[in-house]
Amino acid sequence: MTEGKTRNERKITARDMARRDLKVLDPIGPDELFPLPPPYDKAEEQPGWKELSEKAKANAVCTLDGIATTKLPSPRTPEEEKKYVDQFLEGLKKLLSRENNWEFLQPLTLSLEYCVGCQTCADACHVFMATDRRKEIYRPTYRSDVFRKLVKKYVKPGGQLLAPFTGADVELNWDTITRLYELAYRCHLCRRCAQTCPMGVDNGLIAHEIRKLFSQELGWAPRELHEKGTVLQLEVGSSTGMNPMVLKDNVEFIDEDMQDVTGFSADSPFDKEGAELLLIHNAGEILAWPENPGAFAIILNAAGMDWTLSSHEVGYDGVNYGLFYDDVQLARVAMTHVQIAKKLGVKKIVMGECGHQHKAMMAVADRILGSDAIPRESALTLLEEIVFSGKIEFDPSKNDFPVTLHDPCNIVRNLGIVEPQRRILRYLCPQYREMTPHGVHNYCCGGGSGFAVMSPFNFTDWRINVGSRVKFKQILDAFADQPGPEVKKYLCAPCSNCKGQLRDLLQYYGALERSGITYGGLVELIVNAMVDIKEPFIHWEIR
Amino acid sequence: MEIVTLGGKQIEIDEDGFIQDPDAWDNAVAADLAKTEGVDDLTDDHWKIVNYLREYYLEFSMAPMIRKLCKQTGYSLKEIYDLFPSGPAKGACKVAGLPKPTGCV
Repeated sequence: MTEGKTRNERKITARDMARRDLKVLDPIGPDELFPLPPPYDKAEEQPGWKELSEKAKANAVCTLDGIATTKLPSPRTPEEEKKYVDQFLEGLKKLLSRENNWEFLQPLTLSLEYCVGCQTCADACHVFMATDRRKEIYRPTYRSDVFRKLVKKYVKPGGQLLAPFTGADVELNWDTITRLYELAYRCHLCRRCAQTCPMGVDNGLIAHEIRKLFSQELGWAPRELHEKGTVLQLEVGSSTGMNPMVLKDNVEFIDEDMQDVTGFSADSPFDKEGAELLLIHNAGEILAWPENPGAFAIILNAAGMDWTLSSHEVGYDGVNYGLFYDDVQLARVAMTHVQIAKKLGVKKIVMGECGHQHKAMMAVADRILGSDAIPRESALTLLEEIVFSGKIEFDPSKNDFPVTLHDPCNIVRNLGIVEPQRRILRYLCPQYREMTPHGVHNYCCGGGSGFAVMSPFNFTDWRINVGSRVKFKQILDAFADQPGPEVKKYLCAPCSNCKGQLRDLLQYYGALERSGITYGGLVELIVNAMVDIKEPFIHWEIR
Repeated sequence: MEIVTLGGKQIEIDEDGFIQDPDAWDNAVAADLAKTEGVDDLTDDHWKIVNYLREYYLEFSMAPMIRKLCKQTGYSLKEIYDLFPSGPAKGACKVAGLPKPTGCV
């Protein structure tokens, strides 16, 4: 066994996924990434990457790039391995059949058949870019190519016989499926590749379908997304483990705390029947960023809105991790949200500052709900309406510090909500500046598709160093006119998942101390600009 | 899951190093968990945070809001990070023997 190839050896191709002579197909490390701008350019000043213990290595399957997201089974015999390979094959066939995959079969088939290999997507992918476009296994077409060849060889009639002529040269074995599983979790499903593809191929969808296959057929999914994610949410009421009693206690605490700070009413009504709008936050906001739900309450009350929160299980947690790995779990959560809203008799559901909640509820759920649909609105459009209604008095000079905006992929590229948040920022933040590129052409924060909540084994090193690399450079570039820590800057990210990732990123590099950058949502900036608040709402402290 | 020796006992930990059975926790286990977090000596300041987390967990079966932790113990978030470099969720909760906080936190 060898540790893996060196960079100068022959280029890795799809068929190498099956290689059993390599412990690790293509190891990733800090020396393969493009250098960051100063003061983050000195490798010796960066935190080192975590070395996995031998025991941890035995538990994790690190055979793709030396990184692991999930504890997978450890088959002891070739027969046990074959059992999993057979399950994979069964799942592969189901993905390609109408009765089992009616939701996504058409775009999947088109994506499998229409790629012309032009590599336009390779210039769009922030993961591939992080390695200076050198690491083949992170090329957006690499994963799709492996998958496409497996379909050609093992699903198409006569595929194995014809394989020498069709180029379907990927063998199916234990190493292929475990590497493919991990590879499906090296893509953030941000779909920047799909946006740029001249043929309309969606490599992000292919990664998503691979995840779904593993979840539904083999029961393999990251623990944070499944067992401690959707399962916990449906059982207890929230992926955070918060039950309705703890929720009410926490919200009451936030209401009092925020009222003390601002002098404004932050009372949050619960379960108000017939209210105009039901606001569903990502429950992580309540626990980790209480200023966000607090600011929402202040704004909605100050504008005289008729609103409510739900204290019903699942009704107070907008997360829907099923979006990332399993349509069935997505449907269960989405249906529960709608049932709760209908029972309360509210006119519409408003999504808090959570990107994947927007995508799951406002786009994907349309395929599930049919005639059960209820109007759903983004908080961003609602906030725009309120800010420009004249109901609240603002003093933009209170926000006179550099502000830039991170566009959550699921709200902006994937739903097209681009301008409402910008109109608010241009009005309320005199030093607002855009990142390059931005809007629908933004780059993912690095925490997309659930990564922000995943930190098992050594995965945090990957998601910060590789996943967030392009975003971190963009953030630093946006503030390059005043890079020093003496100028306090605000990175606005209206999405809980993005905030979790950006918190870990800024913390990892010490960017608050070294560059003066803090982060937070949109509502915090709105409240900070309100004329009559007692004291500043935003602080440059560790958050 | 991995079995490791903490506080002289064989204890199961998960992929993030959090103990799996909260009942297996005691002060000696906490001291060894702290070492995995780069904290060699648990001072009174550490214990104040650990004990608050522990008591909250025993009552509510989850970790408290970070802001509540700060307000109730009187430590700022920065001070908590100074005491537990991985922060309140991944550091302090681990030492207090809580399971890893879940959801978007």
